Amino acid sequence: MAALFKDIARWLDQGIAPYLLVMAHMALGTALVYVFPRSNLAFMVLITSFFSLYYIKTDSWFKFVAGAVLTLLIFPVVGVRNIFYLEVIFQISVFSALALGLNIVVGFAGLLDLGYVAFYAVGAYLWAFFGSQQYYILHFAPGTQPANLPFLLPGDSFYLFVFAAILIAALTGILLGTPVLRLRGDYLAIVTLGFGEVIRVLANNLDKPLNFTNGPQGITPIQRPTMPQVAVDGFNALFSRIIGHTVSPADMYNVMFYLFALAVIIVIVFVTRRLDDSKIGRAWTAIREDETAAIAMGIPLVKMKLAAFAVGASFAGVMGVLLAGSRTFISPESFSFMQSIGVLSMVILGGSGSIPGVILGAATVTILNLQVLQGLSLYLSQLRQSDAVIPLINFAWANLSSQLDPAKYQRLLFGLILILMMIFRPAGLIPSRRRKRELATDALPNESRDEDNHGAP
Amino acid sequence: MKRFLKSMNVREMLRPLGQMFLFSLGSTIVLSALMLVLALILDKTIVGQTLFQRLNVSLYTYTLINLPQVAIDGLTIGFVYAAIALGYTMVYGVLEFINFAHSEIFATGAFVGVEILIALEKFGILSGASLAMAYGYLILAIIAGMLAAGALAVTVERVAYRPLRHASRLVPLISAIGVSFLLQDMIRLIESLTTGQYNRIMPTFGNFDHRLLLGKMTLGAAHITLGVSIKSIIVIVSAVLMLVGLNYLVNATKIGKAIRAVAQDPQTASLMGINVNRIISLTFLVGGMLGGAAGVLYALKFTRIDPFVGFFPGLKAFTAAVLGGIGNMTGALLGGIVLGMLETYAGSFMGVFTMGAAGTEYKDIFAFSILILVLIFRPQGLMGEHVAQKA
Amino acid sequence: MALLETIDLVKRFGGLTAVNKVNFSLNQGRIVSIIGPNGAGKTTFFNTLTGIYHPEEGRILLNGNPVHGLRPDQIAARGLSRTFQNIRLFDNMSVIENILVGMHVHLKQAPLATLLHLPSFKREEKASELKAEELMQYVGLRGVGNELAKNLPYGGQRRLEIARALAADPLLLLLDEPAAGMNPQETEEMTRLFRRIRDERGITILLIEHDMRVVMNISELICVMDYGEKIAEGTPDEIRADARVIEAYLGRGAVAGQHEEKL
Repeated sequence: MAALFKDIARWLDQGIAPYLLVMAHMALGTALVYVFPRSNLAFMVLITSFFSLYYIKTDSWFKFVAGAVLTLLIFPVVGVRNIFYLEVIFQISVFSALALGLNIVVGFAGLLDLGYVAFYAVGAYLWAFFGSQQYYILHFAPGTQPANLPFLLPGDSFYLFVFAAILIAALTGILLGTPVLRLRGDYLAIVTLGFGEVIRVLANNLDKPLNFTNGPQGITPIQRPTMPQVAVDGFNALFSRIIGHTVSPADMYNVMFYLFALAVIIVIVFVTRRLDDSKIGRAWTAIREDETAAIAMGIPLVKMKLAAFAVGASFAGVMGVLLAGSRTFISPESFSFMQSIGVLSMVILGGSGSIPGVILGAATVTILNLQVLQGLSLYLSQLRQSDAVIPLINFAWANLSSQLDPAKYQRLLFGLILILMMIFRPAGLIPSRRRKRELATDALPNESRDEDNHGAP
Repeated sequence: MKRFLKSMNVREMLRPLGQMFLFSLGSTIVLSALMLVLALILDKTIVGQTLFQRLNVSLYTYTLINLPQVAIDGLTIGFVYAAIALGYTMVYGVLEFINFAHSEIFATGAFVGVEILIALEKFGILSGASLAMAYGYLILAIIAGMLAAGALAVTVERVAYRPLRHASRLVPLISAIGVSFLLQDMIRLIESLTTGQYNRIMPTFGNFDHRLLLGKMTLGAAHITLGVSIKSIIVIVSAVLMLVGLNYLVNATKIGKAIRAVAQDPQTASLMGINVNRIISLTFLVGGMLGGAAGVLYALKFTRIDPFVGFFPGLKAFTAAVLGGIGNMTGALLGGIVLGMLETYAGSFMGVFTMGAAGTEYKDIFAFSILILVLIFRPQGLMGEHVAQKA
Repeated sequence: MALLETIDLVKRFGGLTAVNKVNFSLNQGRIVSIIGPNGAGKTTFFNTLTGIYHPEEGRILLNGNPVHGLRPDQIAARGLSRTFQNIRLFDNMSVIENILVGMHVHLKQAPLATLLHLPSFKREEKASELKAEELMQYVGLRGVGNELAKNLPYGGQRRLEIARALAADPLLLLLDEPAAGMNPQETEEMTRLFRRIRDERGITILLIEHDMRVVMNISELICVMDYGEKIAEGTPDEIRADARVIEAYLGRGAVAGQHEEKL
């Protein structure tokens, strides 16, 4: 039996077999979702084709092209057919981007930031204020504003604010970080938690004396960026036949924001990898490994930590602008401590410091949240309306408390992930690996190794 | 009797009483004076004029007549913080580890105590109880809360912290955050399954809501009564008793000596024949029991609890522990009282002083500002000594 | 002018004076050892020199410029490089990366050049990689560039720590018990390495060491500390014969001749 598996594994490792396998997986997933647009299982098959793509050994150009086809072509088309899936993949990409940003702070520099959503909130409120009517109701208490106010800035300026958010969130990071980054790790964690709460409480209460945030009610409507009609028409011309109906501009917006989030992910991955292989990235890792040794090597601790904080913050800021633009509504609730821990659990689950790991973590947690927990909720509420009875204990489902809504038990999920990963697999599902360099000396015979071996005391 | 007293080491028992009295009095005087000075300054400005138009009293008078009540309220919450802060500080003293889940240990104590009282009420026992019995039931609830919270704290340490004791500092902290979240939803799940709701209300019984009238004052046009509710007195008295008991345990018994030895140097302590694991469990037990009792007292004072009730008191108690000097028990006491007072004073007067622009709603983040300021300017806390780098 | 000079240096911990009015001067190109009984304040002296501790009193001059009160990274950037008593490598980084971290202060790598992999960046990375490999070979590590530092054997870790310190092109190399835990053959190799570092690279070396074979063999000057004070200074021969030194090591009343072999 084992020999058979070995044979299969060997066969899968050579020739065109691995390519065929990956393409088969993708094709199967696509076909299933196409035929059963409402089936979660079909969607899972499609999503997991990323695994095949990542784990099965193929050329990097193939991986690149297949990944592009999957994310840029198949997902949007499938997503428009069933808008729920588009929401799922949009959320996966949003949380992947956030988790990758947090990963720079936690995974590389080793700074436990428990208030990461503070920067997300900064970005979101930035566009929410300038891209809505809020400026004109500064002097009105929430709920008392006159109707038919104009928007402060045109939709085009959204694109400007994406870049403004980079600067402003980074600046906020530096401002918050400067006084506290010399603290020891565990204190820093609690203080960042505090900052997160401060930002949330401010968002909740800055509806007076001047109404900046509209308080707990949140700001709405927020403008969407202008989208050229050509994009909608072009998409329709290409895909409306496959999709089965013409795509409305509203759906097109969802596709566009998904593509935006994807673009941010690509930028983060690019920046992260470039930095990781440079003086800055090495300094971060050194700080994470041993602060005393790092500073003795001439690495300015506070400056480097600030850099990590600022880079991480800037990505969260961009995602915040994106969130405000895509949801057209934001309220302080979206920036709770639980959100920060949610993003942290994605990083920890996937493997802090590991880019594929963090993306996997974000996807897993989001799917668990959106599909498993919410699916369970749906199932329970159906049971509740039925006459079904739990056999042995003679408990009617209808009597089950309506408070028991699995979708609201995210904390349980996050908590379990954090505890179990710390105890059993602290490096995460896909641990980070150091890049192997091609060294001239590695080619030489290994004479010195034996010499060294008797050195142990 | 004399011998018994001698063996009880009376000085050890009285010392914390003196300290508590001193800290309470000191922070009351300092903060009251500060408020009065601020009021005097602002009285002549638009702030004072606005208030005069609204209530027809000067800002100074308004501040003065409110001060005694604010001080009593501040003291009550301060003692609750102190009791929770002791749990953080003990664990930190022994393991140098922030037990992030301590706030949920506190919440568990509150829920167990409240559920017992709700059950008693359901069976009609509470409503017919005499005053003595009512106190008996309250004590029962507190003890049950302490036991449940203590047992939970020991279990959490055994399951989620002990396997990580030799990992780097952040690993057990992340695990503790996980435990905190898990417990919040576990409480919610259990409450939802068994009672159908997760917001619970402390039953009203006994004479706890009764207000004792301490005095009447007439200042200018305003009349004001000064009172303290019996439950506030119960909170303060129970907290004082627990703190005295804990101080005795740690400073005057053999177990306490072992705890202090492990806090100093676990390795050497284990060489001296101390079972370090047992002492650590014991530390969690004692800290958890204090937290559980504080939970029931909190429920008594604030009536309404939910699974997330521990979060802010927990963070504030941690702030109190840091403010006093983490690892230092007297410091936790001082920090708790000072923070409770500061927060109540700020919450009560900030709204008036800023003409409503910022008031009680910022109370919760007020503690954070203190935490950040302390960590930046005096990381060793008020009572902590500056220890040379502990490698 | 002395390369490194301390003037009336004092470091206290609460009531304990760990370094007490130490006047010490070190000339360019020398190999000097600091010896003394356990707890004499040697490592504290090192930590004060490198900025981990700030002295309460006194001055530290590097090339005539005051460096006391500076942060450790600023002092490192001025040419003071060190190793640690209990090896402190970046465990989960590869050997070559550990050495590259050592070059931190000399690398330019503007953020934009890093992100865009501009030629200037690539050139510098390639050059530093080559230099790191050269250093690996120099200290006797070969073919382990991609190993994680924690997977090296003990002797290899000691060597790597020295390579990392050398990567900063220091003026002065501080070695804190570099031969601890090594067998005689390795100790011999290390001693030779130190001498080569000084002879070939012109780097001044100051070391703390307990192994008297190393100290007597390599040092041109020995400074003896006890109870935080400098009690003697001189050539190995002078130190061997110094009564105060023998007293510090062996207690009052010890006969000098008896213990010479231990020194």
